Amino acid sequence: MSLNKPDLLRQMVTIRAFEEMAEQLYTLGKVHGTMHLSIGMEASAVGAIAALRPDDLILSTHRGHGHCIAKGADLNRMMAEFMGKENGYCRGRGGSMHIADVQGGNLGANGVVGGGIATAMGVGLGLKMRRRGDLAGFWKPARSADRVILCFFGDGAANLGPFHESLNMAAIWKLPVVYVCENNQYAMSFPVKKAFAIERISDRAAAYGIPGVTVDGNDLLAVYEAVSQAVERARAGEGPTLVENVTYRWRGHSKSDANRYRTREEIEAWKEKCPIKRFRQRLVEAGELTEEEAERIEQEAYAVIDAAVAFADASPEPALETIEEGVYA
Amino acid sequence: MREITYLEAVREALWQEMERDERVFIIGEDVGVYGGAFGVTLGLVEEFGEERVIDTPISEYGIAGAITGAALVGMRPVGEIMFMDFTTFAMEQLVNQAAKMRFMFGGTIEVPFVLRTPAGSGTGAAAQHSQSLEAWFVHVPGLKVVAPSTPYDAKGLLLASIRDDNPVIFVEHKLLYKIRGPVPEEAYTVPLGTAEVKRAGRDLTIVATSIMVKRSLEAAEQLAREGIEAEVVDPRTLKPLDEETLVRSVKKTGRVLIVHEACKTGGYGGELAAVIAGSEAFDYLDAPIVRLAGRDMPIPYNRNLEYHTVPQVEDIVEAARQLARGRV
Amino acid sequence: MPVPVINPKLEMAQETATVVEWLKREGERVEKGEPLLTVETDKVTVEVESPASGVLAGVRAVPGQVVPVTEVIAYILQPGEELSESASQQIGRLADLPLSPSPLLPLSSAPATPVAQRLAATAGVDLSAVQGTGLGGRITKSDVMAAAPSPGKVRATPAARRKAGEIGVDLQAVVGSGPRGRVQAADVTAVALTLAPSPEAGRGETVALTPAPSPEAGRGEAMVVPLAGMRRTIAERMTASYREAPHITFTVRVDMSGFEDVRAQFNAKAEGAGVPRASVTALIVKAVAWALKRHPYLNSTLRGEEIHLLSEVNVGVAVALEQGLIVPVVHDADRKGVGEIAAGVHDLTVRAREGQLGPADVAGGTFTVSNLGPFGIEQFTAIINPPQAAILAVGATQPEPVVDEEGQVVVRPVMRMTLSADHRIVDGAAAARFLADLREVLEAPALILW
Repeated sequence: MSLNKPDLLRQMVTIRAFEEMAEQLYTLGKVHGTMHLSIGMEASAVGAIAALRPDDLILSTHRGHGHCIAKGADLNRMMAEFMGKENGYCRGRGGSMHIADVQGGNLGANGVVGGGIATAMGVGLGLKMRRRGDLAGFWKPARSADRVILCFFGDGAANLGPFHESLNMAAIWKLPVVYVCENNQYAMSFPVKKAFAIERISDRAAAYGIPGVTVDGNDLLAVYEAVSQAVERARAGEGPTLVENVTYRWRGHSKSDANRYRTREEIEAWKEKCPIKRFRQRLVEAGELTEEEAERIEQEAYAVIDAAVAFADASPEPALETIEEGVYA
Repeated sequence: MREITYLEAVREALWQEMERDERVFIIGEDVGVYGGAFGVTLGLVEEFGEERVIDTPISEYGIAGAITGAALVGMRPVGEIMFMDFTTFAMEQLVNQAAKMRFMFGGTIEVPFVLRTPAGSGTGAAAQHSQSLEAWFVHVPGLKVVAPSTPYDAKGLLLASIRDDNPVIFVEHKLLYKIRGPVPEEAYTVPLGTAEVKRAGRDLTIVATSIMVKRSLEAAEQLAREGIEAEVVDPRTLKPLDEETLVRSVKKTGRVLIVHEACKTGGYGGELAAVIAGSEAFDYLDAPIVRLAGRDMPIPYNRNLEYHTVPQVEDIVEAARQLARGRV
Repeated sequence: MPVPVINPKLEMAQETATVVEWLKREGERVEKGEPLLTVETDKVTVEVESPASGVLAGVRAVPGQVVPVTEVIAYILQPGEELSESASQQIGRLADLPLSPSPLLPLSSAPATPVAQRLAATAGVDLSAVQGTGLGGRITKSDVMAAAPSPGKVRATPAARRKAGEIGVDLQAVVGSGPRGRVQAADVTAVALTLAPSPEAGRGETVALTPAPSPEAGRGEAMVVPLAGMRRTIAERMTASYREAPHITFTVRVDMSGFEDVRAQFNAKAEGAGVPRASVTALIVKAVAWALKRHPYLNSTLRGEEIHLLSEVNVGVAVALEQGLIVPVVHDADRKGVGEIAAGVHDLTVRAREGQLGPADVAGGTFTVSNLGPFGIEQFTAIINPPQAAILAVGATQPEPVVDEEGQVVVRPVMRMTLSADHRIVDGAAAARFLADLREVLEAPALILW
């Protein structure tokens, strides 16, 4: 597949800009609740989703802004959702932790750690069933029959019962699921060194008889390669794969995290491995992009975010009369 | 009309709907060749194949995730959790995901599945295999809860539940599987959210769910010999509840006895009592609303103790008698 | 000093008695020893005599009410006396009269009046914690009321309140049969049945004509009349009677020529004496009373598993009112002469139409006669007035051809009467015998002397 690498850079910068703006809005009191920022993890989201076709599906985590953007969401509507507005993706009912772009194939961020892992297995089951000939006429417009579901989760979720139950079931039925573990070294404050008796989370794949691979999660192309193989496998009906993206989040777990569990030095060290800086450098060095072009991409990304904020600011609040809508179909 | 058992009625509903709609499939533990823990799905895998009658490893959470995810992409799963006690494993997917996704995502998605589960005591299976937990699910917005009491209702309500676009918890009392009743051969639906007056009467209203409908009808026969005519109302769907039928009956009789198997405290009967007391029927009440329910205790193993842990026909007769004679 | 009338204890283990009927009315002058009311125990029905001469006042028990023994149910006042609060407070169990509490008794077990005891039980008041202000330190009703959490509040179910509002019954006047004395709807109905429609109740009974579209009953607008008050009471009682008592009905034709002769004779005398004339109904009442004495099963009532053959013959006469039907009673019709019965029926009918009937007037009936002859009805079937055993429906007397003793067709005044009887109590043969006797005496009234 030929990649539009400048566009991938643009996506990553957009995510960075969005996260920084979200953080700023929060401190200004314009976004309430909490948020889980993925600054520093842009390559994991963009690299993985770049391996998907537009009509493939994803399930995301509580740290899902990046996944949502990489999947092609409209930034205005994302920002409106963050501000709880009626024309946000979820009519203001979901917010940061439950943002979804169903039309675009994002089946939602999740407020429960690991909450999407079993659901993804179920989606895989449904997608596999939909390949049956007798179901062809049911859905219009007809979607491509070999869609896959990519499920993001974190190192913390990998220790949940549902992780094991779901990977096993996806494996025995050879479901078209790609499980991407974004190992950012900490489950809230609990470091992976203490949470696991093994070195690599992807080693667990062997327990389910499926391939597992660990990659540098801050190397966009490495992520892309690994996930592409997993997607091909899934599409071909060979079953799930576990891909582990080793990465790091620059900000705390959520807004109320005082970073007491890690050192400034550690954070600074990881910032040196910034995925955006590395990819931009790589493209420029390879002559695929000039510095000026790169600079312009970044500026445009930030401008788009500014416009999204203006859009969201001007958007209406949900009407109180509609408060109970959407509970039942 | 031919008579079949409640179990056969459930099976027939599954069969007919799977024939009619290829999106419908069954998933659960031992539902295939084994035929289901209680034999409900016997014969289905031979007819529809392993693609549509799926055995799972032991993972109720996995079953719940499977039906949630498959429903998200347009399938219409019917999951089975073989004892309602084990829905505890599945709660996260059912409560945090399936019940809420539609609302959280602004109404842009649907989660149409049915989760069938055998519930209740009387088989000597003791504390961890005998619970009636419907009150928990009634308390979760986004879920619907159905508890049919007759073979006719079981088939009609299951067909309606599968065709409903929401997640439905379908509660089958184990002791009801063997009861027989008239069931039309063709497919038909009983709409969700409609109660039924199973027996008309004028001296008191007995509101009963699941197995207690049968016991209340037996009690009503006995009471009739004493000149007490009991009206028996079966909500059939616990959520959404048909308040109108309930209120109309209480306005007529002025006396209400609520009967369910689940333990009294926090049980569904409290909900029914509050609905009645807060309705127009209040001004017609000639006695306090009475609840007859399971004792607040786990189900014991000993047969006699198990028997006396939940309301039986004689308990219903006595409670109704006291109520009808103005002694409550 | 008002003299209390006590519900007497007649038997050793007796705790209560049921008031059957008041023989004297509130405000009536009575003599010492005169029967004031009848009460009924499990075994007997007795008359309660007046303990003093004076005026009957403060009647506080109604027919059908179950009253604990030794409880005060009325007072006899002397001229100029009034019932005061203090008078009611000092009344207790007059059987034990120590003027000061026994020195051996601690204060906590000071005796309490029966009313106080009952009130304490229903109000949840601990008597040992109540200070008595009555005679001899006795705990009285007002002591308990002062100690009770919500003094004076009537415990009644919503349905009872609604019914009381509809029919116009004061809940304070109703004794509740529910737990802890709670008033239930049936208690209100029971009281209402013994009361005539009062002016206040008229509000609840006023026909409210509301034009309303009636989808069932044809085109055009229908008037909507709420089923309230007397109408509702009749609806409920007639439904209950029809449902519970298996009715068997029998009709006979009566040649009224002899009857008419006697009535004419009687009325000639009545006019001469300046007393009211006898209506057909009044004479029929006398004949019926005579026949009932000879056929006790037709003058009985079913209580649970027992048929009670009643000693008095109290014949009710159905009177049509604008808002419904009421049945005042001629008490002891078997012991009264025709003149007295005629006067009684006349008086009751007039007072019924004026809404002047009291509880005693409608209580205690053992049989009912309903005469629709004046409306031209030839024959009809009536529904038994519970808890009675039977009812006689009298039709119009009209000239009809009959075959006389010589086989000739002659024209005679003929009346058809129809007996409805409760088959749980009365079988066909018993009913037939009663009717045969009744017909015989109507056709030849001199047989009353038999």
